[in-house]
Amino acid sequence: MGVTVLQPYPMPEGKSGAYIIDHLGKRLLSLGATHAGQFLVDCETFISTPQHGTPTRAVHVLHNSECPASTFSIIDNGTGKQVALVADNIFDLLMLKMTNTFTSKKQTKIESRGARFEYGDFVIKLGSVTMMEHFKGVLVEIEYKPCITLSYCWEMIREMLQGFLSINVGKEYPSYFTTQTIMNAMGQQQLHKQNDIYEPMDTIKQYLEQFTNYRKHVQMHSAMGGTVGPVMMNTVVGMGRP
Amino acid sequence: MAISSARESLSHALNNRFLPNLEYLLQGSILDSAVEHLMHRLKGLCDNVDTSPETFHDLEVCMSLRQPNTNQPLMLRVRRALGRDAPFQMRYLGQPEVDQRRPTLVRSCMDCACTNGILDFLTEMGFRLEFEYIAKGYMFRKGRMKITVSKLIKIVPGKQDMANEPISQSYIVELSVVAPTGQENVGEEMRVFAEQLKPLVQLEKIDYKRLGNIP
Repeated sequence: MGVTVLQPYPMPEGKSGAYIIDHLGKRLLSLGATHAGQFLVDCETFISTPQHGTPTRAVHVLHNSECPASTFSIIDNGTGKQVALVADNIFDLLMLKMTNTFTSKKQTKIESRGARFEYGDFVIKLGSVTMMEHFKGVLVEIEYKPCITLSYCWEMIREMLQGFLSINVGKEYPSYFTTQTIMNAMGQQQLHKQNDIYEPMDTIKQYLEQFTNYRKHVQMHSAMGGTVGPVMMNTVVGMGRP
Repeated sequence: MAISSARESLSHALNNRFLPNLEYLLQGSILDSAVEHLMHRLKGLCDNVDTSPETFHDLEVCMSLRQPNTNQPLMLRVRRALGRDAPFQMRYLGQPEVDQRRPTLVRSCMDCACTNGILDFLTEMGFRLEFEYIAKGYMFRKGRMKITVSKLIKIVPGKQDMANEPISQSYIVELSVVAPTGQENVGEEMRVFAEQLKPLVQLEKIDYKRLGNIP
């Protein structure tokens, strides 16, 4: 287990998702990577039934085929507090015991699946994202196995993304890892996520961030009558791809 | 070959009956003064003879969630080992079934190891603290059976690390097996073992409903 960076692949005009995946896969193979199985990351969100005086809470339940015995969940209490939990797979059955309080939003079930490649110390996954069988985009996951702190290997991961996949990536750390300022009992504190020890939960949180963007895009899309909403602009446009 | 999702593997385990989800249970108690004799008997009967019995010292917290359209709140028990670094254990227990034809009490049971954020997580979900206590004692194994001899200790709220008082002058003895659905012979195996502990301890199916409104 090393450090993983998740990067949305900007979709060029007029190209299908299958074409992009095929193109990237061929490129990896011809550069010397080997095909090493499949992967799947899925996410289901449960929403609390509205009750008097309490904000709506959302429980996101995710799985990653890289950690097949675990279920990852993140609860968002509606006031900005998030609590993350890693549990055995049985947790999925426990969620079903709470269907009177937490109902699954089936129409937002989303997943990224595809081929897994290995190249030396790197693992590259080309995921095609689908929500309700509808194609949403391509997510590239890249892991550098020997290191557990992003700040030590970001340059290498970046080089890999640029050189192998020709995704133009800025020098700064990806947004998930950038320094955050939080207020707590100890006063104002700076969180330097890029210096923290990387955990499987960090991969999951990056996926949730991207999945949320894709979901929002659908809402924006339908709300704005088919025009591309500003949320999508943040994630795809502006990555400097020619 | 397409990779199967975690949910698919779980339903596969349930449908093919290799997911342990039923607990068979017998319970009894023994006075402090006689517990040494029981320990000797268990050391002789159980698998881990050469090593001394495994000890445990756990804090159990029971959280409940009141759900609309149901009378019974959903209860989840979270166990944390005190003085040992281990994952938290969350346990769901269904309504016990006390069937006259079965030698043991049977209830649905789900065990789930989780990270230490679980209590915070449940609180955010809307769960509230129902009760908590400390269990300290010994665990023995015999095949797939688990035997625990434990002392239940009261908790003075906010003072978990202080010397807390035992709930009674006796130890609770539990014999249990968690097995997949459809393994009826487990009960018989347990009945035979319970016979061997008589007359030191009388292990029985305890019908909680008869004890009144105790969770």
